[in-house]
Amino acid sequence: METLYIGATPSSPEVNFDFAKHHLSIRGESYPENAAAFYGEIIKRLREYLGNCSQTRITVDISLAYFNSSSTKMLFNIFEAFNSAATAGNEIVLNWYHDEEDDTILEFGQELHIDFPLITFFDHPVKTA
Amino acid sequence: MNTLHLAKDFSASFELACQQRVIFYYVGYFSQNVVAAMADAVRLQLEMSGVNSSTRRKLFSSFVEMAQNIIHYSADSLTPSDQDNHEMRHGSVCICEKEGQYLLQCANPIDAAAAEGLRERLQSLRSMTLEEIKQACRASLRAETPEGSKGAGLGFLTVARDSSEPLEFDFQPLEAHPGTVMFNLKATV
Repeated sequence: METLYIGATPSSPEVNFDFAKHHLSIRGESYPENAAAFYGEIIKRLREYLGNCSQTRITVDISLAYFNSSSTKMLFNIFEAFNSAATAGNEIVLNWYHDEEDDTILEFGQELHIDFPLITFFDHPVKTA
Repeated sequence: MNTLHLAKDFSASFELACQQRVIFYYVGYFSQNVVAAMADAVRLQLEMSGVNSSTRRKLFSSFVEMAQNIIHYSADSLTPSDQDNHEMRHGSVCICEKEGQYLLQCANPIDAAAAEGLRERLQSLRSMTLEEIKQACRASLRAETPEGSKGAGLGFLTVARDSSEPLEFDFQPLEAHPGTVMFNLKATV
């Protein structure tokens, strides 16, 4: 399946889903004008990919400096898709990167970890200048 | 819409509420590009103002939520009603500092018909504890997106969560524009 790549803009993240290598990453800022529209196509492609995976180890790197409320819901939907894929027998390794001083992103990650226990979740606080 | 009239209305209430240091103030049309540029400016300004990082984060988040609400919901729109992207709508936003606290205030015209429902939602938010707000956020994440919402409906909850005081709001009738009211929202961080 062809890589899904969307370049970053000042208010939307870089999305680099290398499906062939089973390495997916989202990084940057996320406050697009319409989060549902931005992430809708991404989630659709993701589900197609996950639907075809079995017994696969998939690595996901998420590194967002900020995400607005509507992005939060989309991220939740993405995690739901990963959790379903884990239920289906895949191994999802998720690396959650955030500024070490950002409690909001830390807590959101922790909640996702509790809600979606089948995802292997690693929290990575990052020291920023 | 008479822009000057709006600016005077807003600045009168703004002056009353906030007689201290203005960190950022914009009145005009809001589009995604305008908001992204302002977000950059706000970020830099907050860093230079010596605000601590937790407060900076909350201010930035509330600023983006308020500004994007204006893009999506202000009744004074330059975009045709059937267009739902690249919108450009009118409002104002202000961040100022008063006695060690930061006040974030925004204003935009809305249809008078929408005011009552909005008032009820915001009123119920005022009586919620922080824990209840967080619970409501979690519930909202799992729910279907509400009708007519261009996001998750989480915007006000997110601002309320980061505000150290209950959100304040009011609706001022606009004499020159019956059927439209000016919605004002204030958060304290």
